[in-house]
Amino acid sequence: MHLMVTLCLMLLTTDVCSQKSTKVKAPKGTKWWSLAKAGEPSNDLRSPLTKHNNNPSLEPLTKRQRKLVTKNPGSIVAVESGAKMAIQECKHQFKNRRWNCPTNFDGHGNSIFGKIIQKGCRESAFIYAITSAAVAHSVSRSCAEGGISTCTCDTEPHDRPAGRDWEWSGCSDNAKFGHAFSRKFVDILEKGRDFRYMTNLHNNEAGRVHVSSGLRRDCKCHGMSGSCAVKTCWMSLTSFREVGNSLKDRFDGATRILPGNDGLKAEEENSGNGRGSKKRKLSFTPANPNHKHPGKRDLVYFEDSPSFCEKDQGLGHNGTTGRECNGTSIGIDGCDLMCCGRGYRTEEYVARERCQCQFHWCCDVICKVCTVNKTRHMCL
Amino acid sequence: MAGVVLETLSNKKLLILSFSLAIILTVFFLIGGIVAPSPNSVMDTLTVKCYDKDNGWHLNNMKPFTPRGKDSCKYIDSFNDEEIELKKIDANEIVFSQLLPLPKEGIDLDMSRWFQNLIAVMDVNVEYDEDNPYPENNKPEMLIEAKLFYRDKEDDESDWKLLAESSEQRTLDCTIEPERRRKGNLYTCELISLFELGSVHYDYYLINIRLPIDPRNTMNRIGKLADMHVIAIFQNGGFTKVWFSMKTVLFPMVLVVLVWFWRRVQTQGRSTNLTERTIFALGIILSIMNCPIEWLTLAVNMPYMMLLNDIRDGAFYAMLLSFWIIFVGEHMMDQVDRNRLMAYWKHLTVVILGCLALFIFEMCERGRQLVNPFFSIWSSEIGGAAAFGFIITAGIAACIYFLFLCYLVFRVFRNISLKRTSLLHMSTLRRKYYSGLIFRFKFLMIVTLLCAALTVIFFIIGQLSEGQWKWGDIDVSLEYTSAFLTGVYGMWNVYVIAILCLYAPSHKKFTTETDDTDTNSREEEVQLTQLPSEASTLTSFITKQSAD
Repeated sequence: MHLMVTLCLMLLTTDVCSQKSTKVKAPKGTKWWSLAKAGEPSNDLRSPLTKHNNNPSLEPLTKRQRKLVTKNPGSIVAVESGAKMAIQECKHQFKNRRWNCPTNFDGHGNSIFGKIIQKGCRESAFIYAITSAAVAHSVSRSCAEGGISTCTCDTEPHDRPAGRDWEWSGCSDNAKFGHAFSRKFVDILEKGRDFRYMTNLHNNEAGRVHVSSGLRRDCKCHGMSGSCAVKTCWMSLTSFREVGNSLKDRFDGATRILPGNDGLKAEEENSGNGRGSKKRKLSFTPANPNHKHPGKRDLVYFEDSPSFCEKDQGLGHNGTTGRECNGTSIGIDGCDLMCCGRGYRTEEYVARERCQCQFHWCCDVICKVCTVNKTRHMCL
Repeated sequence: MAGVVLETLSNKKLLILSFSLAIILTVFFLIGGIVAPSPNSVMDTLTVKCYDKDNGWHLNNMKPFTPRGKDSCKYIDSFNDEEIELKKIDANEIVFSQLLPLPKEGIDLDMSRWFQNLIAVMDVNVEYDEDNPYPENNKPEMLIEAKLFYRDKEDDESDWKLLAESSEQRTLDCTIEPERRRKGNLYTCELISLFELGSVHYDYYLINIRLPIDPRNTMNRIGKLADMHVIAIFQNGGFTKVWFSMKTVLFPMVLVVLVWFWRRVQTQGRSTNLTERTIFALGIILSIMNCPIEWLTLAVNMPYMMLLNDIRDGAFYAMLLSFWIIFVGEHMMDQVDRNRLMAYWKHLTVVILGCLALFIFEMCERGRQLVNPFFSIWSSEIGGAAAFGFIITAGIAACIYFLFLCYLVFRVFRNISLKRTSLLHMSTLRRKYYSGLIFRFKFLMIVTLLCAALTVIFFIIGQLSEGQWKWGDIDVSLEYTSAFLTGVYGMWNVYVIAILCLYAPSHKKFTTETDDTDTNSREEEVQLTQLPSEASTLTSFITKQSAD
């Protein structure tokens, strides 16, 4: 009984208590990832934001996600672009690794990242973190753009008495809403109380924390005659690339944790002293006792990653056969490691490339076409 | 002997007065800290990249680009979209647009007249890209074509009226650490000032910005732009309300004390002396500063209010500086007769010079902004140098002033110590006269130093702290910046009120002093009539007596 209560407290944001939690091995809620494919073939200039409320692409969402999205008009667009951002970033960060973040839109409701997300390895940890972070980032961004009209307005880090409205003390901080929205939207799917669930929750939160902690502080002096007698500061979001970079660093230094430790123990202790009932504080024991406990920014995993050398239909990974590798590198992108010792073939080819381009700040690239002889190495 | 109220006041009364003034001061500080919100709010907005398909801007089509609402523009999500290439979208066809304020909590917010002023800065996000590099060795020039529209709540949603438009040149200054030089990472760029409005008279503001590219020049060659943020800073309505109320309360208070002071001076039946006139002028200028004409901004559009407030503040500080010089000079206790403004021309020139430099700078920046809100003196090289020159001049003037003041104070203290030794050998009248003078001077010195020190300390704490203080676990938090502003404002008001009260001529001793005067010799009276300014009350009294 006590366990149940604690669990409910942990899931306060998702108010899962009202429902009997069904045991879903493959998180059905991650289907929202497939929003990334919405409008993929022809990315047309989109209609005004107001029309996005009745965007038909709500299908992959769970009931509660749909409710959340309908409650926050415009957020579906942000979620959609968040999903795209996450995939793009994942592919970018892993382009030189054996596992290069393959995605597959099969339209059958399977996860677009393949079955790897059902495993508890580093790669799945990264996927959970980056997608959750992308939603937080994208929603915050959309708030700043004015795309979501329901972003919160809390101005102070503490609770002020009611009536201190916009006119009295203004509005600020879009990042907080992004974080809260992502937590509600992403964590909602992770029903259950097994170890995998706890790990995923932790990694989701880790992703979001990287967004919130990556805020940059800017200040402007505007006192009398522009002096610094009055200085106003604010926090602004960094680019999602930076979030991706830091998550990739955490991926490399991810902590392997001992299964069976579902983090509940720490939670019980936490709720025991009356505090932390609102906070989900998960605590995992690292597999290597010499390692320190994973912090809230660290990614955690409990299964070894496959080698990703051979094609694995189950995981939706094609193996490294045919992948291009770096002939001179001794790192993971080098041909030795990438091709798993199977060797590689080298071919010379003639490529027609754009060159001597003239760029402007956004677009309008005026280029010449050059033909160059190139060499590439491909894994056997 | 006649002096000022301060000398005739009993210690008990003085203590009560000081105590009550200290309480008033604390109240001001707490009003700012607890009642008022932070002085300013920030809206960090991301501009929407509107696609100006028909090149309407270029054709001088006045139609504004709105980021949302009924007539919102066609927009691009990111410059990485394939459609840019597909549709051959040109940099000249992009208009960055944002509508202030952003909607929040599902409510369509609007700007309030209580906000008083609106400052907008641009945060340009430049991405690192080897193919399209940011010119790191020379800071690139930007040409910003900006338009600012306004609309009121009652107006039709597409009825935007032009408030200002301008083409401005700014320099972009970005840096990136070597280890972060990877594609997609952002440069750290200096903020670029966009516009400053001296009044927030309308409900909605629409910003349209274009960064035109011309193959004939090197404008806007800034590398790869990812996003453009426009950050709007405005005074919080709550702070404005507290500030207005404070001014409204202080204005009549100071005025009453001022009238009392002047009537007291007038009833002395002699010509006024320089110290009295200076104190009176200080009171008048404080009253001008206190005068809450800001209330009018709620009804009338007064974009010059910000400039006017700066001038009023500046005038007060100039007067305060002049007052200190004159007061110290008049308490010199040497046998030189000053009592004229001309005697202080050297010192006052320095004050006026410094203030004039700041005034010209202010007029160049904020004065010019009345005509063109996008103007910034710092954006052009000559303007920046001139502005720097003015500030340097003001700084030098401030230094010279400080040296003058220190020198004068030093001389007064030397004279005091000289007088101390001979004080015992003096007659009662003389002794009382000098000890009164010394007491008055020392009192003002202490109070002034205390006020100045408090201002400086508060300011430093404000710079160091994050602007928010929390006291323990109880939910009492202190909005420090607001407390600093209201506290300092209240403090100088209290300071002037105290001076007006305590340095008003006293008529109390007329009755008590009569016993003392009979011991004075004729010779001494003659000497005393030649005493400098401060003795004028005394002199007049003595001459009156001798006439009797």
